[in-house]
Parts: sequence; C-alpha cells; structure tokens
Amino acid sequence: MIVCIAVVGHQNNPLYLQSFTEADDALKLHHIVHCSLDVIDERVNNPKKTGPTLNETFLGLLYPTENYKVYGYLTNTKVKFILVTTDLDVRDADVRNFFRRFHSAYVDAVSNPFHVPGKKITSRTFAERVSTIVKSFGLSTAV
Amino acid sequence: MVGREVSESCVDSMIIEMVSSYCDRFCSAKPELAARRIEAIGYQVGLQLSERYTMERPRFSDHLEAIKFICKDFWSELFKKQIDNLKTNHRGTFVLQDNRFRWLTRMSIDPSETNANTSDDPSVATTESKSAQSASMHLYFPCGIIRGALTNLGIPCAVSADMSNLPACSFVVRIKA
Amino acid sequence: MDPTSSNLGKMLLEEITPVVMILRTPLVEESCRKNGLSFIQMIQPFSNFNNIDVPVRTASDQPYRLHQFKLRLHYASDICQPNVEAAEEHLKEVVTRASDNDLTDLNSDPPQLESLLRSAESESQSSRFQIFNKELIRASSFSEHEAFDHPVACLLVVSSKDDRPVNKFVDFFNTNQFPSLLNNGAMDPKILKYYLLIHDNQDGTSENATNVVSEMRGTFGASDCRMLCINSAENGSKDWQDNPWSACNSDALLGQDLGCFLNMDDLDEIKDLMQELSSKHIIPHMEQKVRVLNQQVSATRKGFRNQIKNLWWRKGKEDTPDAPTGTMYTFSSIESQIRVLGDYAFMLRDYELALSNYRLLSTDYKLDKAWKRYAGVQEMMALTYFMLDQSRKDAEYCMENSFSTYLKLGSSGQRNATRCGLWWTEMLKARDQYKEAASVYFRISNEEPSLHAAVMLEQASYCYLLSKPPMLRKYGFHLVLSGNRYYISDQRKHAIRAYRSALSVYKGNAWRYINDHVHYHIGKWYAVLGIHETAIKHMMLVLACGHQSIATQELFFRDFLQIVQKLGKTFEVFRLQLPVISMPSLKVIFEDHRTYASSAAVDVKESLWKSLEEDLVPSIPIMRTNWLESQPKKKYKDSNICVAGEAIKVDLEFKNPLKISLSVSGVSLICQLSEKTDSVDSEVGDQHATDVDGHLSTSVLQNDLELKKLKSSWELNSCNSSIVLSEVDFTLGGCEKTKVHLAVTPQLEGVLNIVGVRWKLSGSTVGYHNFDAILEKKRVKGKRRTRKSPSSNLKFTVIKSLPKLEGSIINMPERAYAGELRLVVLELRNQSKYPVKNLKMKISHPRFLYPGSFEDIEAKFPSCLEKQIDCKLKGLHASSIQLSSNLLFSFPEDVTIQGGTTFSWPLWLRAASPGSIPLYISIYYEMENVSSDMRYRTLRIHYNIEVLPSLDVSVQINPSPSRLSEFLVRMDIVNKTGSESFQLKQLSFVGCEWEISSLPPNGTACTSQLLIAGQALSSFFKLKKCDKSTCEPTTSSLSTLVGSDVSFGPEAGVLFDISRTPLADFHRYERLHQEKAEEGDPSNIDFILIAQPQESIGGSSAPARLFCHHACHCSIASQIPISWRMDGPQALHHDFSSSFCEIGLCMTIHNSSDYVVSVRIHTPGPQSSTGQLSDATGIAQSPRLAGNQEGWYDVSLVNDIKVTSDVMGTLSGKPASLDSTAPYIWSASSSTKIEVGPMSSTKVPLQVSLFSPGTYNLSNYNLHWSLLLPSNKDGLDRDQVRQTSGTIQGHSYYLTVLQSP
Repeated sequence: MIVCIAVVGHQNNPLYLQSFTEADDALKLHHIVHCSLDVIDERVNNPKKTGPTLNETFLGLLYPTENYKVYGYLTNTKVKFILVTTDLDVRDADVRNFFRRFHSAYVDAVSNPFHVPGKKITSRTFAERVSTIVKSFGLSTAV
Repeated sequence: MVGREVSESCVDSMIIEMVSSYCDRFCSAKPELAARRIEAIGYQVGLQLSERYTMERPRFSDHLEAIKFICKDFWSELFKKQIDNLKTNHRGTFVLQDNRFRWLTRMSIDPSETNANTSDDPSVATTESKSAQSASMHLYFPCGIIRGALTNLGIPCAVSADMSNLPACSFVVRIKA
Repeated sequence: MDPTSSNLGKMLLEEITPVVMILRTPLVEESCRKNGLSFIQMIQPFSNFNNIDVPVRTASDQPYRLHQFKLRLHYASDICQPNVEAAEEHLKEVVTRASDNDLTDLNSDPPQLESLLRSAESESQSSRFQIFNKELIRASSFSEHEAFDHPVACLLVVSSKDDRPVNKFVDFFNTNQFPSLLNNGAMDPKILKYYLLIHDNQDGTSENATNVVSEMRGTFGASDCRMLCINSAENGSKDWQDNPWSACNSDALLGQDLGCFLNMDDLDEIKDLMQELSSKHIIPHMEQKVRVLNQQVSATRKGFRNQIKNLWWRKGKEDTPDAPTGTMYTFSSIESQIRVLGDYAFMLRDYELALSNYRLLSTDYKLDKAWKRYAGVQEMMALTYFMLDQSRKDAEYCMENSFSTYLKLGSSGQRNATRCGLWWTEMLKARDQYKEAASVYFRISNEEPSLHAAVMLEQASYCYLLSKPPMLRKYGFHLVLSGNRYYISDQRKHAIRAYRSALSVYKGNAWRYINDHVHYHIGKWYAVLGIHETAIKHMMLVLACGHQSIATQELFFRDFLQIVQKLGKTFEVFRLQLPVISMPSLKVIFEDHRTYASSAAVDVKESLWKSLEEDLVPSIPIMRTNWLESQPKKKYKDSNICVAGEAIKVDLEFKNPLKISLSVSGVSLICQLSEKTDSVDSEVGDQHATDVDGHLSTSVLQNDLELKKLKSSWELNSCNSSIVLSEVDFTLGGCEKTKVHLAVTPQLEGVLNIVGVRWKLSGSTVGYHNFDAILEKKRVKGKRRTRKSPSSNLKFTVIKSLPKLEGSIINMPERAYAGELRLVVLELRNQSKYPVKNLKMKISHPRFLYPGSFEDIEAKFPSCLEKQIDCKLKGLHASSIQLSSNLLFSFPEDVTIQGGTTFSWPLWLRAASPGSIPLYISIYYEMENVSSDMRYRTLRIHYNIEVLPSLDVSVQINPSPSRLSEFLVRMDIVNKTGSESFQLKQLSFVGCEWEISSLPPNGTACTSQLLIAGQALSSFFKLKKCDKSTCEPTTSSLSTLVGSDVSFGPEAGVLFDISRTPLADFHRYERLHQEKAEEGDPSNIDFILIAQPQESIGGSSAPARLFCHHACHCSIASQIPISWRMDGPQALHHDFSSSFCEIGLCMTIHNSSDYVVSVRIHTPGPQSSTGQLSDATGIAQSPRLAGNQEGWYDVSLVNDIKVTSDVMGTLSGKPASLDSTAPYIWSASSSTKIEVGPMSSTKVPLQVSLFSPGTYNLSNYNLHWSLLLPSNKDGLDRDQVRQTSGTIQGHSYYLTVLQSP
C-alpha cells in the first residue's frame, strides 16, 4: 500500500505531505521524503543516471529504504512528487499511472485562484481526490 | 482539457474589459501601475497554464526548448496557432513574432500614430498617442502570461511587447542570467 | 594516486605486519618497570622502521627493497581472540573519552552549514573515528582463519638476574607458555625464535651476563642470541632529547617520566637490536618461508594436472557433512600453507604473489564451503587489489562478497564483517566514492550494537557531506539517526553534537516536523546534562507548534515547563510565542478633551465625531495653543494628552496557536512615567524615556537588551505608586483568541510611555513583548491625527486631573416601532469635585432624538401632549433653531453640574423611519477653573436603535367630484407589524388654509379604529378650503402648527396637540426630511396620524406609548387641471305618453391650473347604449379610475405603491363602460369645445333627451382637455410630473324621471 505521498516545491519546501498509515510515523516519513530530495537532485544533475528516457518526468525508484520504496516524479516546473510505498513488487506502469493522475490532480489544485503559488496546498478537494487516487493505486493501469 | 471550449468573443471582451477597468477605473491615475497589475494577472495565468500544458512531456533540458514549447504547443493551446517567427541572439534574448496576434485582430490604430511607437517596450512608451498606448495596454496581459509560464519553467525573464504594425505583434523575452 | 599514501594504505601497513610473540620472565618486566614501561612499551617505539633498506627477492627472484617495515609486538598471553565484553567495554570507554573533551563547545552556538562543509574533511578524518575504527578492527584480531596475525617470530627474554637463565629459556618450551592457538594447531608452533638476555646495569657489572650469553650462544646458536643492557643511566639524568615514548599511550603511571634510567647507549642498543631482529632475522625468514611455500604450492597445485586432481579430490570431500564454519584446517593443511604464503607475501609487499595465492585459495574454500575462510581470503584479495591499485571493480566485488559472506555467518562472522566493512569504506573513500562509503557504513551500522552503529552512522553522514555535490539532507538524516543511537547507548554529549550539526541542514526551511523533533530532543538532552539555559533556548523554538498533534504539543509544553522548573527561577522570555500577540489588534483608548460614554462610542470613527462637533467645540489649534503655552514646548510635541487619574485603556488580542489550553496570568502593561517634579527618579525615568525613544527610532534592537530594558521598567513600575496597572488573568482554550482589556492609570503629571506588555505563562514563564516594532502598521483609535514618529502614539503627556462627565440615556430602548414617541432622560454625572458649566449638546439625528424642555421631566406622558384649553405656544427655542441635518442644543445658561452631582435632562425619542439607526450625541462642557491645561471637554454618547416598521400611511387627495375646491382625502394605513395592533387616535391636518373633516360627516372616520397586525385600512376624509380671514401667513404656521384634527371613533375623547413640542419639532424635521425626497410644491399639505398600541389602552401599567406618523407634502395639485360640476334637476315627473322628455343641464368647469385649458366635452351619439343601475358598481370609483392611472396619486415617502395599489384592488370595480348604449340621447351638439382661462371657471349648457321613465346615470360622456402652454418651455420644466392633456370619463349624475300621472 502507499504509505505517503508528498509534493515538494522547487525550493524543496514541502507543499503537501499526506501519510496514509494509522501509525504516527509522520516524522519518519518526513525524513524519508526529505532525504529522497537528495537523490532527486542527484538524478537530475547528472542525467546519465536518470530514468529510461532522458529528462522523463518519472524518475523511477529513488532508493529502497529498509522497508519502503520511494518513487520520484519531477514536473517541468521543478515540482517534485514523492511516493513512498511498502509494496515489495510494484509495477512500474502502476507508478507511472499513479503519478500521471496525481499530476493532473495537482495541476487542478494549483489552478485554483485561491491557491497562492509556492504555499502549502490546503484544498480539501485535492486531498479527497488524492486519497481516491491512492486507494485505486495498483488496482488497474487504466486511467 | 480536450473537449473543453470557450467562446473567443467572451475571452476577448473579458480581456478588453479587464484592461479598460484597470486603466480607467482602478488606477486611472498612474497607468504604469495599471500595467503592472495587468501584467501580474497575466503572470498568474501563465503560471497555472504552464503547469497544465507541460503535463505528459519530458522536462526541458535547456532554455531554447522551453521557448520552443512556448512558441509551439503553449501558443497553439492559447491561440490555436503557433508563433510565426522566433529569433534569438543566443545571449538570452528571444523575439517571438506573431503575425496575426488574436487579441489584436479586433483592434485598429491609425497608422500615422503607431509609427510614433518605435519603442519596443510599452511600459516606457508613455509619450505615445493615446490609442496606441491603450492598445499596448492590452499587451501586458500576454506578456505576463509568457513571463509566468517561463518563470514557472525555471527561466526567470523579462518580457516586453512590440506592436509596430497591427495585428502583427512581437514579444521580446530577455532571460535574466 | 599511490595507494600506500592513502588512509587505507597506511592502515594496512600498520595493521597487516608481522607479529612477534614475546615470552619473558617476571624479572625482565621488573627491571623495565623502573622506567615506568613494560618491556613491549620499551621496545615498541623502535619496532617500526621508516628508513631501513633491506634487499628482498620475490619468489620469482625479482630483487626489490623494503624501506618501511613494522613489527607488531605481543606478549604470548595476548595472542588470542579478545573476548567480546572486554572489547565492548574498551570501545565504550574510548567513545566516552572522546565525548568528554568536546563538552566545552556544547555551550557555543550550533555550527553553521558552510563551516561544516569547510571542516568536513578534517571532521571525517578526526581522531575520534580513527581511534574507534582501529579499536574496532583490533577487536577482531587473532582469528584462526587468517594468517597475518600469526606470530612470525618469537622473542624469548630472560633477565640476567634469573638464576640459570639458560634453563629459563628451555622452560619456556617445556612449561606450556604458548598461546592456545599455537597448541591447538591453528598456528604453526615451529616459528623463528630469538633469545634475548636483559641486563640491568643497576645490578652491577655485566661480566656475569656476558658469560650467560656465551653459554646461550653455545646452546641456541650464535646468531640468535643477544644481550641487552638497560638502565645504565645514573639517577635519571637523561642525555637524550625527544622522548620516543611521549606518543606512547598514557595508561602507564604518569608523573614519573618514562624511560628515566635509559641513557643514549641503551636506546641505541635497543634500536639496533630491533634493526637486527627485523632485517637480519624476520625478513629473511619470511622471505625464505615464502620461497619454500611457493615451491610446495606450485608443486602440488599449479599446473593443469594438479588443478584437475585437486578439483576431483574436493568433489570427493563434498559428501562428507561439513561443520558450519567449514572443515577444520590445521596449519599443516595445504590451504593454510597457501594462506600463510599469501599473507607473508602481502606483508613483504609482494602483492602479485599474494594475489595469485589468494585467488587459488578462494576457489578451494568456496568449493569446501568454508565460508569464513573464504570471506577472509576475499577480503585480502580486495586489499591486495587496492594496494596494487588495479581493477577497482574486482576489489569492490571481493569486498562486497566477503562482507556479505561474513554477515551470512551470523554472530561468528560479525566482527570480521565490521572490520571488512571498515576497510571497504576506507577503500571507497580513498577513491572519492563517498556516497558508496556512506552506504557501506550504513550497512555496518545495521549489524552493530547501538554505540558502534552510532559512530558508523556519524561517519556515514560525513561521507554524504563530502560527496560531490554534498548530499546535505542525507547528511542530516544520518546525523539524526546516529544521534538517536548515541542517546540509546547513553552517550548524550555525542547525541547532542550530532543533532546540533544536523540542525544546520534543517534550519530555516519548511520542514517543521523534523525541525521540531531535532530541537526538542536537543533541548531535552541539554536538560538532562543540566545545561538548562541552552535547553530552554531550543525548547522555545518548538513551543509554538500549531501543526503538531495534540499529544505532541502537550509533550513539548510539559517538558518545557519541567525544564523551566528545573531552572529554578522564573524564566523570562522576550517575545514569548505563547500566546501569540497579534500586534495589529493593539488599540489604545485614551481620553484627552474627548471623553467617551461607552466603548461603543469609542469605536465610532473619529471623523464622524469631528464633523458632528465642528461648530460645537472651538477649533483645535486654539485649544492646543492654550494648553501648550503653559508647558515647555519641546516636551509635548506630537505626544498625546491624557489626564492624571483617568485610565488609558489598551486592547490587545492574544491568540493560542496550540490545540491545548494555556493559562495566562498577570497580564499587565509596562509603562514609564517620568514626573515633572525634579526628583532623582524622574531623571532616571526621563533618561529611560529618552533612550527608549532613541531605541525606537533606530529600530535595530538586540532582544536581550530590549528584554533588560523591559524588565527594568517593569520593576520600576511595580515599585512606584504613581502608576496603577490593571492585571488580567485568563485561560485560552485550544486555538482560541481573546481580546484583553488592559489599563494604566497615571496618578501624577508627567510623561507616560507605554513600552510593552508582560504576562506569565502557566505560572512559571514570564513573557515580555514591546510595542514599538509594529507601531507603523497599527491604527490607534482616538488619535488626534496621524503622527510623524509612530512611537508617540504610546507616549502621553499626563496633565493634572480634571472634571469629567459621564453620561448615559436612561430607558433608551434597543428597538422601537416606527413612529413610536417616548420620553427618555439624559443623565450626566460629574464625579470630580469641580463643577462644569455652559453645556452644549449636538444631536446627529434630530428627526429621532429631540431635546425637551426641563419641565418635561415631571410631565406625565402622554397626557402632557393632550390639548389644553389654553394652548400657549412654546416654540421659543424651536424658532431659533435653523433646520439642519443635526441639531445643536445649548442648555440654559444657568445650568452647571456641581462636583459629585448628577444632572438629567429630558429628551424626546421618536423612531422616525424603519431600519437600524445610529444616534450620536456629543456634549460639550467647560471647566470652572480655567487654570487647568484643558478648558473644555466633550462627552461622546453613541446609541444604536433598531426601528421596526409599524404603521404605513399613504395619503391620496383627489378633487371631489361633487363640489369644487373640495378634496377627497383617502388615507391607506397598513399595519406592518407582526404582533402589535394599534388604536388609531387622531388624524391631524397641519396648516390653516384647509380644514379637514371626516367622511361621512358624522364624526367617526372609519368603521373600526383598531388595526390588527397585518391588516390594512383605508379611511376617507374631506378637505375643505376655509376662508382666508382666519388664516395666518404660512411662515408662522410653519413654526407653530395650528391645524384641524379629526379623531377616529367617538370614544377617543382627548385630542393631542400637535402644535406642542415635541410633535411640532418632529414634524418640522419630518417635513425637512421628506422634502429632501421630492421637490417642493407650494400647495402641499401635511397630515399627522396619531395612534396608540392596543394594549396601552386598558393597561396603565405599561408606560403609555404614542405613535405619530407624519405624511408630509401631500400635493393637492392634482394631475388633472380641470374639475367640473353638473347642475340640474335630480328628479322630475314627465308624461312620456305625450312626448319624450328634454332636460337641460349645466356643467361648470373649473380650471385649477395656471394655464389656459381647452376642454372638449364629447357626448356620445344616438348609438350609445343602455346605462341602467346595473353599472352601479362603477359609481363611487368611476371618477377616480377614469382617465389614465399613472402618476394619479401623489407619491409620498411613507407610501409604497405595491401596498396601496392592492388596497385599491380590493375596492375597485370595472369602470363604467362607455360603449354601453344608453336609453337617452345627449341632444346638444355631440361635442362642444371651450377654453377655460387659468384659475377661472365657465358654464356650459347641456341637454339630454329621455324616452322612458327610470333612473339614469348620465355618466357616459367624457371630457378631453389639453393645456395650452405658453411658447417658453420653462413653465413645463417646472412641474414635469403634470401631463399636458387627457381624457376624463364623466362623473355619474343620477336623474330620476317618473311617469307623471
């Protein structure tokens, strides 16, 4: 299952971080997300290590921690999506699909005129939409 | 975004209304303030549009790619046509020319007056004739859009517009080093 | 780069070197001890050589030379695997020692990021880690599965004091002094031996010793024996400079200087002893052994045949079940031989040879599943690869391989795994692969106990810092992890250090959770260490954590309080974050010459008061000068005025950012009052005030300095009695905000400065907050005008105490019904002892509120308004008042309010129009004693009254159809209230040129005078012009309202006198008000409807209420300029048998307009139809409904069209139809056209012919009229509303004709 999903702005400031676990491990997840930023930077700065195709928004598996898998996604606008999951075998397609849907959700959220660019995303609609996307994660590759 | 449509005339009249209300009502006293306001609105719009239109595409590796994106996809999303001509001096200045800029097609200016408008930057062209100035007011919005989009793509820049012969219009993008 | 110069290379050259086992007798030790050294310590410094030059040959006879060499010396007793616990203890002790010496910098500020980046290199290489790693590696020495720890040589030492030393040597062998490893066959017992005789020169001369040596030479062989003389120096006079033992570890007993009895010769002797030992014996021996072994190996294993054989042989061995650690190999086994060969080669730097052998060996072990040995070999292979500086890939592969293999072995391999890992990381570091190194550290840390893990993680973090580009976040993360581990294995100082350096990463950015966590723990640990100030500093940072969960917030808060308690004294914080003060909410209320009756009055905009007071008070500059001139000018420029003994109120909003509730106590202002009297403290205060000002102007302030200032002035406050401060306690629930009203009352004159606010959080922590920082942004109410320097808003000039009025309006209702009239009393109290005089009052809405006359107070309401027989007019002050939107009322001259007395004055309140109406009253008064700084003050009273709609009166006036110059007044009254029902009392008509009378004339105006809620009622009156003689000029009729009244219903006996104040005055204002709505018309008339609510009739208990509704400017000038009357017979007899009947009628047409009107009377021809009584429905209405409707009735304010129209709808029937054919014929010309001059009337003869008896309604004619306007249009412009032409249906005129007998 997906443990945590995070949106990080282009100044590496957290815009949205939602954990989907009962346990109170917000701190750990924050740390994980925070660290994964390093990996993203690394991936982006020396592109020879980046994902399948050059400059693809989907960055693939960032790094496996002891019991999590962290996937990354970097939009054209230098906004980072970070997905932390506990699934051991994750189909790449699923993750891509997830990120695609999440991205559109994000775009709608920031298109909200009441959203201040670069500030935390507080829209409730966005939260609901995200949770539905998360629930449907891995169930089907269809959009 | 597919299938979603909006009446052009609505958009046109809305922009015109926006410009006029800022110029005449809100800050009629100082036009440069009005210009800044309008530009800011455009900036916001560009910010959001760029978010939307850059979905599903790989990141741009350099500035030129981003500019090209603006000229091609972004422009055709906005105006159903591409920028007609793109020039650059390879030192961070790009000139985007649109031979028939949609938002100016409804506008006509006495050519004798527009000849006076040699300055390529509307913000300093305060001495020119009233009509030309008001027309140039309508260009702050697209300028803002371009700036917002590029800034959001990580390219801080300054955008100015030049409308020496309507309805052709060229936008000058200066990328801040 | 040269691997040997790298860190790892150095380590290897130190660690993987030949071991010399030492056996010695106790006497040897004893004689060494004299120097405070053990034997090994004594010779250790001379056992590594940097400048020897020993020729060596490889197995394949390549000559090369060794320049560097080192021997590791170990007592035989030490040659065994160190036991785990001891090792643990040792390591822990090492770490603790490291932590002790950096306690000092714990008190300094946390390091900055750039400084960290700069010092990263040195940090990661810091001795801490070096020592720890070395110790950790040592912990896994002397394992049987690898050979480089096996002793190469054995040094047997006997003292010359031993009796029969030679036998001692022999005893070493007989008595089993060898370590177990040699005996159990893991190591080769037949090793090179070297015999040494120690002679202590303090025990006399050495002949004896020399004999022994010669004897030894005899027995053990000449070359392997040697004598060493020590302690030749007398009484510790050293003749050598640099102490070789200074580097030597400090566990030798200090104080006594090491090696004091050794002189130069001794040192030289030791030196060349070791020289000889290494270069003449050990190295050649090893070289020799390498050669021999190599031949063996190549004989048995090299070559194709051997390979096959070996392979087959191993296969054979497969099926034998093997021990988990693999099969037990003795030193004699070929594998061990190869291993020894490899290690020797390694130690002799013949890496190729070593590598080839290791390769060979690793395959064997792999086949044998001897995993530990396999791992060991792999490890060595990696190292050799490194030393050869070739094929990094292989090196890493081997390392990985060996590391994982060791881990697979579990506990038995764990130590080695760690060692391997450390070497691996060193290797990676040497190749600048810091990231990989870090991950290896991380892997090690997973296997190790928490303390080791902590050190490993810390090293990992530094690796991340060193990697290009530095991975700061991982650096921080690993530091946090290691900090945790340190804390678990209670190394708090290390933990704090780790966290502190992690801070630099998280500082400033938005990752609040992490930030809070780090700060919180640092704080806690500091507290544990007893460094409370720093602890609190960190705790403060996490206090305002609204984003955390409630539990976390409670935790943070509780721990914070605990630490504060531990601190002992009350902790004082500048700008404490709990609770948050919202500075924009700061509001200062002070009263200089303006005083406020209520807080409501304060909130009213100053500009509004000003406009109200402008002609009430003398203009401000005058006032200012006359109080300024009495003072030295400089002191009071742009500072506010307040009066001694009167409180200055400050409203401030506190907000609780947390979800838990906070208890705040003792909130009070901090002020500075500097008195004008030349006392000592005044200087202090003054200088305080000034330098505070200086501070404020230059708004750069260090917090602690500011805090000190606030504290000092706070103490000043609490001690001196000249300032009275209010204290507030309150409790804030989660996320609540509350407005706190603070007050300061200066008792003496001087300069008062409100500096800040101070409060106590849950009894232990005191928060200070100064006001200056935000003054630019905030609005101060009651400010006289915007100042240049913001600080002056909180700076007051206290002048000596003055009388002050407090006022209120007794029994002022919150809500009333429109038109309600009542008597309220304005009450003014003068608390001071001085009297105040010549009061004036300004009222914003005289339409609602009107000052009565003094005797109205005891007057009984409403009976006082009833008509007396003698109605003497009291309009004296009323006449003087010019009508304006607001009213200035000056109390009688003799009115003065003595000190301590209360003064009351009646006011009339009338709720004029519905809505929520703000009433502003400003009362001006002057002091008796002019000597004071202020000559006058104003009292501002503000009330809000909500007026509900009640009766809705609309009036229509039409010319009466029957009589000229007579009008029908129709009044529609709608009761719009929900519940109230009204008793209509009277309708008064204002003005004297008309007279009103009810219709029908028998007194009662309408059927019922009671109007239930929601009901509508319309009643009719007649308006008749009375002759001019009794009438006065209109001007006076305006001032005193004489008029005619009509009472509803018979039993409403008494009539109210509308000419009395207040009715008259209110009416005047109504006129004024309604006049604003529509342009005046000369011939306008006003009505006043007086009603009383139903319940007040019987019950006298409730205060009698009176309603008066004014309908003003009801225009009689109707739209139709003409009116006419039919004159003729009403009933007559006629004999229809003889002939039809002709009747002459006369129509009198009157033109009420001032233009000529042309009228055409059109009477329908014979084709016109029957008009029977059937159309009697049309009777009453037809005149009104005929013609065109719009603009017919006059639109007065109180009248809204919808209601009236549907009132009419109830009454209206269909108009009399014109085309109904009448049984009579107008027998004059079908249409006659005449012109009527302005204000004149003409008569027109008409004739009608009838054919049968009956009653006829001769209404089926119509008049068409049109104004003949003069050419200039202005006449038309004046009254646009009039129309210029129209057609009117004829009035009904009934004619009854009877058949004459």
